[in-house]
Amino acid sequence: MGRQQRQRWSAEVEELIRGISGGFLFGVPLIYTMEVWWIGSSVSAPLLLVTLAATAVVVFLVARTEGFRRTQSRDVVDAAIDTVEAIAIGLVSAALMLVLLRRITGDTALAEIVGKTIFESVPFAIGVTLANQFLKDQDDEETEEPEDNFNETLADIGATLIGALIIAFNIAPTAEVPTLAIAVDGPWLLLIVGVSLLLSYTIVFGAQLRNCQKRRRQRGLFQDPLSETVMSYLVSLVAAALMLWFFHQVNFSDPWDLWLRYSLLLGLPAAMGGAAGRLAV
Amino acid sequence: MTSSDPDQPPGKGSRQRRSRAEWISFAISAAILSTVVGLILYLWAKERQQTPPHLLVSPATEVRKQAGQFYYPFSVTNEGDRTAEAVHVVAELLVDGVVVEEGVQSFEFVSNDEVRKGAFVFSRDPNQGEVVMRVTGYKLP
Repeated sequence: MGRQQRQRWSAEVEELIRGISGGFLFGVPLIYTMEVWWIGSSVSAPLLLVTLAATAVVVFLVARTEGFRRTQSRDVVDAAIDTVEAIAIGLVSAALMLVLLRRITGDTALAEIVGKTIFESVPFAIGVTLANQFLKDQDDEETEEPEDNFNETLADIGATLIGALIIAFNIAPTAEVPTLAIAVDGPWLLLIVGVSLLLSYTIVFGAQLRNCQKRRRQRGLFQDPLSETVMSYLVSLVAAALMLWFFHQVNFSDPWDLWLRYSLLLGLPAAMGGAAGRLAV
Repeated sequence: MTSSDPDQPPGKGSRQRRSRAEWISFAISAAILSTVVGLILYLWAKERQQTPPHLLVSPATEVRKQAGQFYYPFSVTNEGDRTAEAVHVVAELLVDGVVVEEGVQSFEFVSNDEVRKGAFVFSRDPNQGEVVMRVTGYKLP
């Protein structure tokens, strides 16, 4: 593969990852809403088509002004192609999340799989199209060499906490966390940890996103991309546990594994919020 | 669209001709979307000839005794095509023809061919009597 071709492929992968990151940031809160699972379980096929068409219209309109691709040309054909891609990314992302959270299993009926996936994919698809809005590279002049100091780490922890609060605070008091904890166990919990770390890493470092170059150059305690991701995930987990305790979902007489399960489940949206928070710093 | 060099990666400011990588992404996306639309059309065609919910409740495995309580497992299956919502199941424990205990259980959804499992908890041994279970109702979503 020639250098130019590799460059084109890496540019494409970068844009897709940016789109996927935007989709997850926007779509994950709705994944933690059981009413959407229910609607998806029982909706009729014509309504599913209408939902898909309505999503396409909204995504198309957004794609005319914004989009996950790094271009300012927004003609009708480009917007239509971006719309198809955004909806496809939304469908795949939503389906993967539903499998991860055991809302789709080997026993789930086909109609239910299609219904849940389509309803959950709506915010993902919109998030993909809005990705550039909050995940675009900033201009070069802003990526000056950062100083090596402890304050960067403190700022990251603060930003992670704020982001985690914004996304996960709405989910913490709801019945979804205990409901999901019943179905998600053993290896699935490990997968949740893996996916939380992967998404957090991808959002902050994976797609040359906002401030990414600057962040990569940061030196100091927990400033290396991998250790920063792990540290922020742990901060998000502690924040998730505290939110669950605050809303009486867990208390000190509960067994440790209940705390762990609930915190890991809420930790996923918290980690995504944390990642988005760090982008803003 | 301009007819500039297709080998250039997409850059800021202008739309280059789509690279092969972009076309492949689009082809995969279009295939995914077409599959989903195809599945919806298939479900739609199936929906037209759907039979109403047909709910069967049956005891699953043997009774489990724990801390003085008797756990009586059961499963509900929907052999009809349409999804049943708010499926209620009641169980009565009869000893010598007299109802001595009863339990109520409900499931939010039972779609077609889906098997939902649960258990009734009795304080008396169900093996010393007879357990009668039945679905008391559902609603259509």
